[in-house]
Formats: sequence, C-alpha cells, structure tokens
Amino acid sequence: MNTLRRVLMASACALLVIGTARAATGTFDLAQLTQLLASKRSGEATFVEKREVSVLDRTVMTSGRLSFEAPDTFVRENLKPQRERVAVVGNMVTMSRGDRTRSVALDTVPEASVIIEAIRGTLTGNRESLQKLFETNVSGNAERWALELVPRDARLRAQVATVRVSGQKAEVREMLVVLPDGDRSTMTIEPVLARAASPAAAGSGAAR
Amino acid sequence: MARALVVWLLALLAAAFVTARSHYVADLSAFLPSAPSAEQAVLLDQLRSGVAARLVLIGIEGSTPAQRSAASLEWGRVLRKSGLFESVNNGDNSQYESLGTFLFEHRYLLSPAVDAQRFSVDGLRSAIDETVSLLGSPAGAMIKPVLLRDPTGETVRMAESMLPASAPRTEGGVWVSRSAERAVLLATTRADGSDLDGQQHALEQLRDGFAPYAAQGLKLVVSGAGTFAVASRAQIKHEVERLAIAGSAAIVLLMWLAFGSLRALAIAVLPVGTGVLAGIATVSLAFGQVHGITLGFGTTLIGEAVDYAIYYLIQAHAPLVAGAERGSGARRWIVRNWPTVRLGLWTSLCGFIALIFSGFPGLAQLGVFSVAGLIAAALTTRFVLPVLAPDGAPGLGLRRQLGAATGRAASFAPRLRWPLWLLALAALGLLLWLPSPWRGDLASLSPISSDALKLDAQLRGDVGATEGGTLVALSASDEAGVLALAEQAGARLDRLVTEGALQGYDTPVRLLPSPATQAARRSALPDAPELRGRVAQAAVDGPIKAERLEPFIADVQAARSQPTLTRASLQGTPLATAVDAMLVPGRDGKPWRVLLSLQTGERGIPADRLRTALSGVPGAQVVQISTELGALYSRYLREAMWQAGLGALAVCVLLGLYLRSWRRLLGVVEPIAAAVLVVLAALALHGAALGILHLVGFLLVVAIGSNYALFFDQLRHAQGSVSGSDDSNESDDSDTLASLALANLTIVISFALLALSSIPALYAIGQVVAPGTLLCLLLSAAFVRGTPRSAV
Repeated sequence: MNTLRRVLMASACALLVIGTARAATGTFDLAQLTQLLASKRSGEATFVEKREVSVLDRTVMTSGRLSFEAPDTFVRENLKPQRERVAVVGNMVTMSRGDRTRSVALDTVPEASVIIEAIRGTLTGNRESLQKLFETNVSGNAERWALELVPRDARLRAQVATVRVSGQKAEVREMLVVLPDGDRSTMTIEPVLARAASPAAAGSGAAR
Repeated sequence: MARALVVWLLALLAAAFVTARSHYVADLSAFLPSAPSAEQAVLLDQLRSGVAARLVLIGIEGSTPAQRSAASLEWGRVLRKSGLFESVNNGDNSQYESLGTFLFEHRYLLSPAVDAQRFSVDGLRSAIDETVSLLGSPAGAMIKPVLLRDPTGETVRMAESMLPASAPRTEGGVWVSRSAERAVLLATTRADGSDLDGQQHALEQLRDGFAPYAAQGLKLVVSGAGTFAVASRAQIKHEVERLAIAGSAAIVLLMWLAFGSLRALAIAVLPVGTGVLAGIATVSLAFGQVHGITLGFGTTLIGEAVDYAIYYLIQAHAPLVAGAERGSGARRWIVRNWPTVRLGLWTSLCGFIALIFSGFPGLAQLGVFSVAGLIAAALTTRFVLPVLAPDGAPGLGLRRQLGAATGRAASFAPRLRWPLWLLALAALGLLLWLPSPWRGDLASLSPISSDALKLDAQLRGDVGATEGGTLVALSASDEAGVLALAEQAGARLDRLVTEGALQGYDTPVRLLPSPATQAARRSALPDAPELRGRVAQAAVDGPIKAERLEPFIADVQAARSQPTLTRASLQGTPLATAVDAMLVPGRDGKPWRVLLSLQTGERGIPADRLRTALSGVPGAQVVQISTELGALYSRYLREAMWQAGLGALAVCVLLGLYLRSWRRLLGVVEPIAAAVLVVLAALALHGAALGILHLVGFLLVVAIGSNYALFFDQLRHAQGSVSGSDDSNESDDSDTLASLALANLTIVISFALLALSSIPALYAIGQVVAPGTLLCLLLSAAFVRGTPRSAV
C-alpha cells in the first residue's frame, strides 16, 4: 500500500515538474489544452449563434443551451427562433424538431461528425478524437487560448474550411465555423455556473 | 418369357424418353408447402424473388484504406454498368444524382410535409425559418443552391424520411466496416434468388471482375444467400459424384467377388437402372417436374433394388443336381422366394405410399419416386431376370464361402439373443429418459461452414443489413388500394418508431405515395397569385426577401398540374428498382402486395405488439421469417413423422394379414423395431439433432430390414414344414443366407460412404441406414425363433 502510494506520488511530482517546465518555456500545446479541458467532466452553458450566409438577406441569430458530459455526451438545444434539439451520445445522434425525431449513427455522416467532434471533442478534452479528424494548432496560454481545427480529409475540407475554438482556462467561450464558400457562424458561449447541486460539478469546481 | 423382355424394353424406352424430357428444378420449393397459409405465401415470395435472397455482400480487404476506397469507387461504377445487378451501393452518392433530380422535381407530390397548413402564412414562415436554420452549417450545403426554389425545405423533409435507420460507416467517400479493415459494398442481383444459374453467373462475373484489384494486392470477400446456395449446390454435386463413384466401385468389386462373373454383374444392375428410370418418369408425369432433392434421396432406393437382383441371382442358382433342366432355378425361385420378396416389396411400399399424401412436394415426390422405382425394380427382377439368367448367377465366386460363413454366424447369432434384447430394452429406456432428439431445423440441413456464416454475419453488420427478419405484408386488388393500405400501416408504425419500439421501416409510399395522397398534396398547393400574397406576408422581417422567391412560386404553380405518379410511370426512372423491391404487382389473379420490412434493432419487437398496432389495417400480416421458416420445418417434420407412423402401422397390418400368425408377425417386427430403437438411442446419446432426413433414413431401414426379417421367417417356416434335412434344402438355405449377407454388405458399404460425407443431408441418411440395416440383419438372425438348423 505504502509503496503504491509512493510510486503514485512520485509520478505525480514528475508530471508536475514536466508541466512546469513546459509552462516555463512558454509552449502551450494540444496535450496541455486537452488535459485542461478534460479536467471538467461535465458542464452547461447558454449560447448565442450568429450566422452570416451569402444567400440570406440578413444575419440569422439563434440562441439556446449546450451541455456535455464526459466521455461522449453532448446536447445542443435551440430555443430561439425555433425549438430544436440535437443530442449526441457515443456514435448516435438524435435530432428532434417539433414532433419529429430521427436517429443516425454519427459515423455514417462524416460531414456532420466534423462539426460535432469539433465541439464535443473540445468540450470533453478528447485529444485523440481531435487529432484523428483535424490538423490542430494551439495558440495562447492556459489563461486564454485558441484552437484552430482544419479537417484532414480533403472531402471534409470541402464541407468545412476551419473551426476556431477559443476559451479561458477550462471553459470554451467561442466557436467560429468557416465554410468553404465563406459562410460563417460564430457561437458565443456563456457557462452556467449554478450547478452546485450536482456532486460532479462540485468536484470539478473544487479542482479549479 | 420373351414377351416379358419386349414389354420391359418398351417400358424402358418410354421411361427413358420421359426422363430425357423432364424438367429438373433445384430451388427451395420442395421444402415449401404446396398449400401455404397467407404468411407462408409471403415467405415463399420472399425466398424466391425477395430482395433478401438477391443480396450480395462484398468486402474489399488488404492494402491501405485509400486504395480500398479508390477500388470501391471505381469497381462500384464498373459493376453498375455490368447490367447483372439491379443496384450496387458502396456509399458513393454520385450515383444518386439522377435520383435526386427526380425527387426534387416531384417534391410537392412526395414530401410528407405538404398540406394546406404548410402553405398558410404561418406555415410558410416557420418552414422558411426551419430551412434557414440549416444554412451556415455543412447540412446546409445541399439546400443552399436550391433555397430560392425550395425555401420550405421539402427536399430536406424527403431526405429525412428516406434516411435509413442503420447505415454503414462512411470514410473516404465509401462504406467501410466498423470492425475490420475493409471497404464494403452491397449489391442486388437481377437474377431471382431461386435462379441458381443466374446467381452463379453473376457471382462468377463478380469474382472475375475483381482480378485487376487483386493484382494490386486487394482481397475480395463475398457472402449472401445466393453465394451460399451456389456454393452448396456445387458442393453437393461434387460430393454426390465422388460418393457415387466410390460406392459403385465398392459394390462392383463386391459383386464380382461374389459372382465371379461380369455378366452377373451387368444383370444385377438392371433392376436398379429400371427402377431409377421408372421413378423419374413417373414423378415427371405426375408433377410436371423433378426436383433435384428427390433425385438425390430417391436414388438411395438403389439399396433395396440391388437387393432384389442379389436375392434372385443367388437364390435362383440351379441346384447342383445332375440333369437339372435349364430354367428350373428361376421356376423354383418364383415359387419359393418370390412371395417373400413380394411381401418385402409391399411392406416397403406401405412406408413410401404414406409420403405421397404429404403436403410438401419434396416428400410427395420422394414417395412417388420410391413407389414407382421399387415396383419397376421388383417387376424387372420377377419377369426379366428369369429370361436373362434362367438359373441365377452362372459363376460361383466366393459365394460358397460367404454362405458358409453367414451360416456359421447365423447359427451363433441366437446366442446373442438375450444380450441384444437387453440392448434394445436399454435403448428404449434411454429414449424415454433423454430429451427428444427430433429437434433438427432447417439450418441443420445447410452445408454452410461456420466460417462462412461468421463472415456473413460480419459483412451484414458492416452494411447494416442484419434485419430483414420481420415483414408486414399488405394486399389489395389494385395499386391504389395497396398503397393506401401501406400509408395506413405506416402511420401506425410511425407511432412505434416514436415510442422507440421500432428503429424504422422501409415502405414504398415514401417514393410512391397513393394516388389519393398525391391528389391531396396537389390540392393543398395555392395558385401563383394567392401564394405570392402569402409569401409577401410570411417574409416580412424574414431572412429572405419575398421578391426573391419567385422561382418557388413558379415551381409550386407547375406542380399543381403535375400528373400523378404510378408504378408504371416510374419505370425507367431511378426510383423503379427501389419501389419494385417493396411493391409486387398483382398478376394471374394474385393481388397487389406491399412488403414493409422492419428494422427492429437488436432487441427485436414481439409479433403480438405489431399485430395489435396494425389491428385496424385490413389484412395486414406480420411475418417473422425465421419463426415462420422454423414453424414450416416443424410442420414438415411433424407431418412426415405422422405419415411414417401410419406407414409403419400399415406394414404391420399387411404382415399380419399375410403371415396369419401373431407369433410370426412378432418375429418379423421385433428385429426391425429393435434395430430402429438402438440406432435412435445411439444417435440421441450422441447428441444428434434429428430431422426429416433421418426419418427418411429410418423409413429405408424398415423397408430393407423387413426383407431380412421375412427371409429369416421363411427359413424358419420352411424348417418347420419340411421335416428332416435334404441336401437341396440345405444348399437353398445357405444361398438365402449368402444373398442376405451380400445384400447387406452392399447397403452398409454404400451408406457408410454417405455417412462420411460432409454434407448434412447425405451424412444424416448414411448415419441411420448403414448401422440400421446391419443391425436389422443381425437382430433378425438373433431373434429367429425355434431351433436353429445347425443345432439339430
């Protein structure tokens, strides 16, 4: 028992030393960012999304709620102008609009998985998933960071040009999606902190 | 006597003529009832021509993912052009371009969202909002170019309703496996599932066409119902040929040893050959076609027909008395032995006649074949052999030794009487104690290897084609009626989908709504001035200005006079194949039929729940294919058991009437019953699942075994009536014993070869008949009552 504890302590110290060393050299990379993001196991937020689409005569505003829970659950709920809900659990996406509900496997529609993995992978700090789908580029530091994602697959780049996620510490604050034709949407995210009732949220709060 | 020869030759010629002109079939029909229930009729349709029977599951393995997907894309295009397949799907959506155009042009007839409310001011506003919500994301890429023609998003609604509940993983633009390094394709052959030659041709072309990719280091794997059927047919054909050659060689050698004469050998084959020809000709005349399965099982009656020839050739052997006149052997055989052979024939016929009344063409054909074949073989033996070989087999060969050895064995056998009795009793006890071994199912008839089944399950999992097990069938007298029923059923199934009880279902009305629905949608479309006014109101403060929506107004105006789509008007369009797979037109007095195939997920859905949900839809039938197939086979087996039981009873009655003695009847029935019990118990103990083929095997054991028992009865009876012992009698008995031993050897050898086969059907019959007949002979000798001759 004691031996085990000592080993654990030792490796924790080692990690700490490496982390400090990196921070000292000023390179904040994807590993550190995802580690930071993964420290938050679940969360809830409100969002306002602004879309600029060439074919439309004015920008379109949408607002609603986001929530996620590690390892792989993500829900986006539009409240305005129309109620609409997209829930992703593992590989299943369930879309509900009015009285209609459809479920599809995420891996059958790769173009949807680009958008979904960009936000779900970032929120849950899933480095493996992000690196599999995207060329990543991290800038800034743990206080204020930005993550640029470009799809690796040429077919998918024809669907989504870039996704730029930015945030502060473990919180994602903005997601910008740019399509190949120049259409773009900017989602501003405001974390909801009132989750004290949930032990998971309390735990992650303590960690911060 | 010469007259007999002429009649025989003429009959042979006629039979050969009919045989040559017979129509041979090899589909599943023999296993399917001739008077099916409504559910079974649906099943039959599906098995013969349903999409499931025509699916080819294809996997491309090896090399790199990029190379696999490139091969899939290119080869998919080649296969589509080959004309052998109705469709080839591999995730390459470029093939759907013309389909997409067709759907888009008919969106106001096909979109489930079109109704009067949708074209009100509020309806338009909310529909436009909904469409706009997709723009600015990858999902909007499809609608952005057509936004001004379709601002209400009917294209999206159609796509949504047609989205399959389970689809393959897509990577690099093609379908790939979730579990293995493999690109997957799903093709549907044009050839029906029951058209094995067509299936074989398509599969051969498929494999040949892959050669260039194989040269790049890629590997092809193929599975599907057609692949299995073609492979089984080839395997069965190959194995039957191999076994026939081995069996014939063994028997020829044996007979040559026994008779020491090629002439005798040639004569011995005549009853068999005549029997087979007569059997085929009679089946062909009675049924209009001959089933391959009938032929396969039916030729096993060779076993009994060869016996007839052996009995005659050995038993009619002229007594070695100087000055015996030519032909005296035949005359003596006809007087002494023919009645016994005839009785054996009658008992065999009883067993097989029972099969004739089966509701399954396969069994009925087998019955007719056996009855006609045995009668012909017996008649040939009785009337033709005496002409060709008036004194039996000329040569002696090793017959003497065989007779002597058999005589010694036969005199020893009665000492085994009590141990064998105990064995039979133990067998009976075991059978009563063990669970019934009669639990064979259709799958146990299939010669498909477990590796092939595993690959099939994997590929099915990859392409999401694990379903197809549950169908809802609807029928009506015309197209409009059956489509309306499909819409009613669809509304009820939708509720189950919403409740989560069902994943989804395929229906033709998404592509071809009923004329009434199309008319209702058309009448919901306002005319241009009216629509223009509503659009103007709906677009106030909206993301699209009203004046930009003129293309939309023009399209709606054009749709108002679009003709109603029908199955006929879809022919030649990309929709035809998909609709035809689910909508079967009525012809020859049969109604129009729609088949909805349900995606039940892994948990499945109880048939009762479906029936309750569909209770308001007239004539809706829920068909669960595996349950239905299982029920069919159990009925088949039950019916056959029942008939075999009746046949056995008839045999007993017949024997009783002829023998006119309970004691003699018991003496004949006892060894046969004991042999059946012992074999049955041994198989049950071994854990074998017995089915229809084992039953046919037991029928054969009874047919052949009854001859042995009757000969032993004849021997004992003759001893009783002829007092004292003279030389001629002794040599007769020795001949009878020798003929029995030889007949039994031929049967045991030919069926033991079958028991070595890897094909379950042949294996099953061999496994029963080889030990069964051997035991029959042994037990007949052991159970013979009265004093054995040599003990005197």
